[in-house]
Amino acid sequence: MVNPIKPDRSVVTTCAYCGVGCGFKAETHQGRVVRMIPWKESKANHGHSCIKGRFAFDYYQHPDRVRTPLIREDINQPWREVGWEEALGFAAKRFRSIQQRHGARSIGAISSSRCTNEEIFLVQKLARAVFGNNNIDNCARICHSPTQFGLSATVGWGAASQNFDSIMQADVIMVVGANPTEGHPVFGSQLKRRVRQGAKLIVIDPRRTETVRSAHVEAAVHLGLRPGTNVAVLNSISHVIVREKLFNEAFIRERCEWHEFEHWCDLVGSDRYAPEVIGPEAGLNPADIRRAARIYASGPKSAIYYGLGVTEHSQGSTGVMCLGNLSLACGMLGREGVGVNPLRGQGNVQGGSCLGSWPHVFSGYRFVTDDDVRHSFENDWGVTLDPEPGLRLPNMFDAALTGHFRGMYIMGEDPVQSDPNQSHIIEAMRAMECVVIQDLFLNETARYAHVFLPGSSSLEKDGTFTSAERRVNRVRKVVEPIAGLQDWEIVVKLMNAMGYACNYDHAGQILDEIARLSPAYRGISFELIDRIGSVQWPCDESAPEGTEVLHRERFPRANGRGTFMLTEYVATRERTSDTYPLLLTTGRILSQYNVGTQTRRTANSQWHAEDVLEISADDAHTRGIRNGDRVWLSSRYGATELTVQISERVRAGLVYTTFHHAETRVNVVTSDLSDWATNCPEYKVTAVEVSLHKPAIAQIKREEEATA
Amino acid sequence: MNAPSVKHALPLPDDPVLDISRIILMANQIGDFFAPYPQDRRAEGIRNHLRTYWDPRMRAALLDYIDQGGTSLSAHVSEGALLLRSAKPRKGYYGPPSPEV
Repeated sequence: MVNPIKPDRSVVTTCAYCGVGCGFKAETHQGRVVRMIPWKESKANHGHSCIKGRFAFDYYQHPDRVRTPLIREDINQPWREVGWEEALGFAAKRFRSIQQRHGARSIGAISSSRCTNEEIFLVQKLARAVFGNNNIDNCARICHSPTQFGLSATVGWGAASQNFDSIMQADVIMVVGANPTEGHPVFGSQLKRRVRQGAKLIVIDPRRTETVRSAHVEAAVHLGLRPGTNVAVLNSISHVIVREKLFNEAFIRERCEWHEFEHWCDLVGSDRYAPEVIGPEAGLNPADIRRAARIYASGPKSAIYYGLGVTEHSQGSTGVMCLGNLSLACGMLGREGVGVNPLRGQGNVQGGSCLGSWPHVFSGYRFVTDDDVRHSFENDWGVTLDPEPGLRLPNMFDAALTGHFRGMYIMGEDPVQSDPNQSHIIEAMRAMECVVIQDLFLNETARYAHVFLPGSSSLEKDGTFTSAERRVNRVRKVVEPIAGLQDWEIVVKLMNAMGYACNYDHAGQILDEIARLSPAYRGISFELIDRIGSVQWPCDESAPEGTEVLHRERFPRANGRGTFMLTEYVATRERTSDTYPLLLTTGRILSQYNVGTQTRRTANSQWHAEDVLEISADDAHTRGIRNGDRVWLSSRYGATELTVQISERVRAGLVYTTFHHAETRVNVVTSDLSDWATNCPEYKVTAVEVSLHKPAIAQIKREEEATA
Repeated sequence: MNAPSVKHALPLPDDPVLDISRIILMANQIGDFFAPYPQDRRAEGIRNHLRTYWDPRMRAALLDYIDQGGTSLSAHVSEGALLLRSAKPRKGYYGPPSPEV
């Protein structure tokens, strides 16, 4: 349909949805956005778009938007509308009061990958310089924290080695635990285009997703493994490569730590990782594991793309290390068409990771325990900083329940809806004395907040996002902030209200501070991005317009070599039982985005009005369940009600749902087990049962404990 | 502003920052990862991980638990954690890129 409204202004900006970071021309008429036109010059999307970026922008002017700051003494009271000064003064006074009574480390902050780099950097500065502690975390904790850990350990940088366009030179594409056609659609189309041109596709995913088979695209191998067996299967692939001597010895000797490679060969080369051993445990045909290994190793250009199906496990970091090991062993790094690439769920997960929104590192992944690094920040900020790592997001909630953590500032996050084991989170939220939320809407978490600061959407502010390909894109203010202030301006006001004097004239000055304090961003500025369109970090004197492909000559580790980590498979503690015989795994759908805060407030909901539970015909039949029935999904942690869809995408023993709708409450069901290294929750494996009748969860839980 | 209502009794200084069962679970998971490494690297890997990634109150709670017997911890987890008291700080097996990069 032709849009009858003729725009009077057009501003180039960046989509705020997934990590592809598409460029759009936001066109306005009389101060309102009327359409989003994909920007042809964008190096991320080249004029393509998906139905989220193209159509789901109307949320920004939804009637639910909060337009005035709100406060209340107690979470049982109604909200009271106040001015900015009163709200910020109220928050500052409460935070300081808590710290006076319980110590500097009794409060903390969370930022979001929906925020700009500049906002993320400021929130970590708020925690470190103003709160005086390192209790700062961000939502990458619950998605891609294992990426930072696992890739840093093996290849040095916790980031994609390639630009997206690199895939057009790949001969073999291995997709692990990701469904780019739904989660990263513009990149998914590029991937399919390359497969249609002849690249071989390997998909490792419990479900038979659209990536496995769609029009004119079919995977050469689909390893539909049992959830929770990633590390076993990836080790088994490595086993074949080691035993059949398919590794690239010249690359390993020249670029890697050879003795660590030998240790690794001893581990993965062991008989216990033979496909004939692992296949039955993972529900796979051993021949398929061997075939996947041979295809990957033979390349000659093989590229790995992976998602939360790798990271959101109790061995998430180990799984990422497996991918790093695999690519090093086969020499699949340091040139076009190869690499290891995380597909980031939110628009600025990479930025969140880069810019110090972690309790243990400053921007640029440099440890707070490193005196030299810390002194550089102390000199710039004019304060003494805490030399000890702070609490991680889940540990903040844990510590709230022991009385050690009592205040939290949250920007752009909804942990009550998005974090695992909802009842635990709610109990922790209720225990806190001051929760400050800065967001567009009164979300689920706001029920437990004392201060609500109305934030600005990405259409209402200036800054940058860093996409999954390390591309720093400009976010430009298209319309005026509905509540009057850009998010970064609110943080600055809060810092000042808490007694830390600081001032920025515009967001570009914050990026200048980032560049000053973060080596990989050293050459990046608004001026550079405005001049060349976008820039991939690292960007410095040696790469003044950025870096498309990492690791060409050396790995960013102390000795310049890549290394191999020992990735023993440890089965998750989450097990099926007679009471919970099925495994639940979760994912996304094309038309909706994450917890749906934005997309549910647009017409995109017509395509996906509710989350449904996919179940195999066999499992449905044995339970007397028919397509479209309302059923109860229960686990050891809780139960929720969903509509059933019988699906060929899931095999017997597996069920699947999305988490886009608050009323679905999927995280009532998911466990609070988490990754050993990063505490990233194990969203991808929960033992469940599906039934037509409401289960007595408490009774079942007691029976399980009694028989354990 | 009225003083906010205190929801919890004040924690005693000796109370662990996290429930001790959580601390034990997390520490044993770290131990599981380092288990395949040779003994000296295994212990040092555990120490480095705890030193670099854990809040000092979590480390203190773990060491207190070890002092009380530490019966639910794997032996090599206790060995690695006790290095927190004796070993000099060293870079781990994994870490950030070197500053000159």
